[in-house]
Amino acid sequence: MQVITYVVFFSAFVWLAVTAKSRRKFMAVTLSGVMVVSVVGVAQPAHAQSGILSGIQAILSVIRGMIQTALTSINTVKTAVNNIQQAVAWPQQLIGQAKAQVIQMIGQYRTPMRIISHVRLNSATLPNPQAFEIVVRDHQVNNFSSLTTAFGKTYGLIPVATAASPTDRAMSDIDDAMTLDNLKALKASDQATDVELQSADSIENAAAQAAPGSAPFLTATATVSGIHSQALTQKMLAAELRQEAARLAHRNTLSKDNATNTNQLRGVLVNLLQHQ
Amino acid sequence: MSKITELLRTVTHWLSGHKRRAAILALVFVLTAPWPARAQFGLDPCCALLAAGLASVQSALSNVVGGGLSRILGIDKAMLQFQQTIVWPQALINQARSLVGLLQADLNQIQNLMKLPVNSATLPASQQLERVLLSRDPNQIAQTSGAYVGLYGPVPAPSAASPQVLNLVDITDAAAQAAMKRAIEIDALADLELQAANQLNQSIQNAAPGSAPIIEAQADAWLIRANAYTQSATADLMRLRSIDLANASADVKMGATNTTDLRQALANLLHHQ
Repeated sequence: MQVITYVVFFSAFVWLAVTAKSRRKFMAVTLSGVMVVSVVGVAQPAHAQSGILSGIQAILSVIRGMIQTALTSINTVKTAVNNIQQAVAWPQQLIGQAKAQVIQMIGQYRTPMRIISHVRLNSATLPNPQAFEIVVRDHQVNNFSSLTTAFGKTYGLIPVATAASPTDRAMSDIDDAMTLDNLKALKASDQATDVELQSADSIENAAAQAAPGSAPFLTATATVSGIHSQALTQKMLAAELRQEAARLAHRNTLSKDNATNTNQLRGVLVNLLQHQ
Repeated sequence: MSKITELLRTVTHWLSGHKRRAAILALVFVLTAPWPARAQFGLDPCCALLAAGLASVQSALSNVVGGGLSRILGIDKAMLQFQQTIVWPQALINQARSLVGLLQADLNQIQNLMKLPVNSATLPASQQLERVLLSRDPNQIAQTSGAYVGLYGPVPAPSAASPQVLNLVDITDAAAQAAMKRAIEIDALADLELQAANQLNQSIQNAAPGSAPIIEAQADAWLIRANAYTQSATADLMRLRSIDLANASADVKMGATNTTDLRQALANLLHHQ
């Protein structure tokens, strides 16, 4: 802006100086022109240096004050968080110790428990009971027909229609059925128990190599296996309930028969006494 | 263009004719023109101060800010490495996820084992009751009593036995039927638990380390629920055995009463003779 003003005034001054006819007029124009363009072209006072220096001081005080304090605080906090993570939350030594304990307990317990659970329990001495005992305890689910056959050979078959009353035949049939149902269910649950033990071994093996970040997957799936295990236990309890109920019902049927028979005997005795 | 040439010719002509005036105008121009400041050359004392100030700023930025950020970066890198290698190692997380997938196969196997048909009855009445009992269908609970009576018979008529015997027979039938109905319920509940467990296991396979504990918490809740149902089933079994024990006790009591009555009847008979 100052340059433009100066150019305008200087151009006017040159024009007047050039067109001056006499020396006196030229001198007058020159002197007055010098005064005017000096005023227009004089350098503006430079306030900037002192402003810049105070600005630099202000920046330095911000850097050395607020920023340095903030960075130091952040540094302190991060160091503390790092220390907490490494020393308190996930100390490597304790993580290693926990894994070592898993491995140590696997070695200490797994084999002895497997040996104990595989001790043979068979005790029958005669061929049919022996065959029955073997099929009952073999943890297989593809030989239910063998179980039925061995059961029949050991406990006998349902009497034919002419050999027993319908009630007795029905009682025998439902009692045998409840027994066989449960024995089959137990074969299945024995196999399911084997699978559960395998799952437990797998989870424990994985725990021996886990990290704090992968362990939640293992604990979650172990809990899910626990739910399965409970469901299995419930099904076994349901089978036992059915069996116990059938046993109770059987004995109750005998009570009903006894009542009927007693009633009939009383009638017979009364008739007998009346005839005498 | 010709005007400019003419103007230049005029100016040159004027300058050659008025050399003193031209020199004076040039001197005035040199003295009064607003020349640019000399700060760029760094010779001004103000510029030296400015340079020193800027050097201080640079030094402060390098030492205070740069050094501080560098230390923070160092800690962040250490934390990152620690978390990546010790706390959340991706390889072990993937390994755990794949194990969950493998265990799903075990769970499916157990579920299939529990669904194997085990029915064994051969006569119509017992087959009918067995079908209801093994149905695992709560909708069939209502059919239990009919199938039960069809097999085990009804409570005798009032004239057929003493009230005490009738009461015993009735409560025993009731306990047996309730236990059978409860067995159907428990089977159905166990099936739902297995279904929920499979669903939870599927979720675990797709979970992150941070979301797996949430699923685990839900699985824990399901486990508590399952424990409660197991306790409930155990309670029903105990109830049934209590009824059985009470029946045995009632047999003893009735036997004693009957013996006393018989002794009295025999004594009366001997007196009459």
